[in-house]
Amino acid sequence: MTWSFVGTCASAALLLVGGVSAGRVPAQGPPALFAGDNVDGLPLTAVLRGGGPGYVSFVYGDCEASDDVGCAPPVEVQVWPACRRYLGLYERRSPGPPVEHGVVRGVPAAFLDDGTRIELQTAMTTVVVFAGSRSRALRVAAALRAVDGSTPPGVALPAPGQGALAGSAPC
Amino acid sequence: MGRFAVVTLLVAGCGLATAAATSAHFDASGRYTHRACPVGASTRTDPVNVVFQSWGTWGRAASQIESHAAWTSTSGSDQHFVDHGACSVQHAQRASGEGSRFHVRLRGQHWDPALGWAAAAAAHHEDLVLFPLPCGHAVDANGPGGSGFDQGRDALEAAFAAAGHATSRAWWGNTQSFKQCDGDYAAADGWMLFIGLHQVNHA
Repeated sequence: MTWSFVGTCASAALLLVGGVSAGRVPAQGPPALFAGDNVDGLPLTAVLRGGGPGYVSFVYGDCEASDDVGCAPPVEVQVWPACRRYLGLYERRSPGPPVEHGVVRGVPAAFLDDGTRIELQTAMTTVVVFAGSRSRALRVAAALRAVDGSTPPGVALPAPGQGALAGSAPC
Repeated sequence: MGRFAVVTLLVAGCGLATAAATSAHFDASGRYTHRACPVGASTRTDPVNVVFQSWGTWGRAASQIESHAAWTSTSGSDQHFVDHGACSVQHAQRASGEGSRFHVRLRGQHWDPALGWAAAAAAHHEDLVLFPLPCGHAVDANGPGGSGFDQGRDALEAAFAAAGHATSRAWWGNTQSFKQCDGDYAAADGWMLFIGLHQVNHA
């Protein structure tokens, strides 16, 4: 899958985001998967674009920030190009607890931050789910679907593309 | 004291010593600061994106931030760090001013066999938002040059590298987005910065 195609998918996704202001939606980006316009009782509230790394983020639910104090939304799904973020990054030596590896939706996955972060390697993307608990993160992962409708929720996701796990895939 | 009590004390003592030995390392599992204790995913506030090492006590880190980056203001709200499961308020904070500014919060951690003395830090650049609704300090949203979190880390990296300190980066992946008081979102790029400190502080 090329990033131009993924950009097309992003445009398709934006059509689904009825509650999000079109003025705040990125014009281009790589989302091939998201969790729908609602997930686990939370509405899709924002679609963001990561600056340098070039990922697209889907924010579900809301939180209250104040002066000098940001807040974490209840659920977030980030879709990264596998050339920039890939599970092999966690095999590099660095301080931190061991990463729990597993399989979610039929593809390689990593559980981090006590399971509140799950990273799935599928096709030429790395999908990162942030949630308040491991169980919610798994429910969000189960709800992931292709924005073009090619992959519905609950079924196996496309296997990682060549070089995706090791980060050797071209951007 | 009976023999049973002595044996019990010895066993307990050995257990404590073993626990201390196994916990005497830098705890990299706390990759975010928190607005309050007890902590959970919903209390996360900022990503931890800098670790001072070698002689990286929090006092040395604060002193050398003042010397190399000229961030001398101590104003700002308190946040909390997690170390070996314990939630504790920051030890120090430094900022480059009072309005739109760079800002970093620090918390000393365990001595680590590989890192030496270490302190975790959460750095960012934030704007003082007064319009259309005054809300106070908000971390810069994601942009081509990275978010305010990335800008704060990069500013410290540049200042310390220019002063001859060793720096390196490691992937932590703590890229969760954080809503700010102006309604924008900011997220780190997931790369954590190590800065080596020396023993002697600057005058």
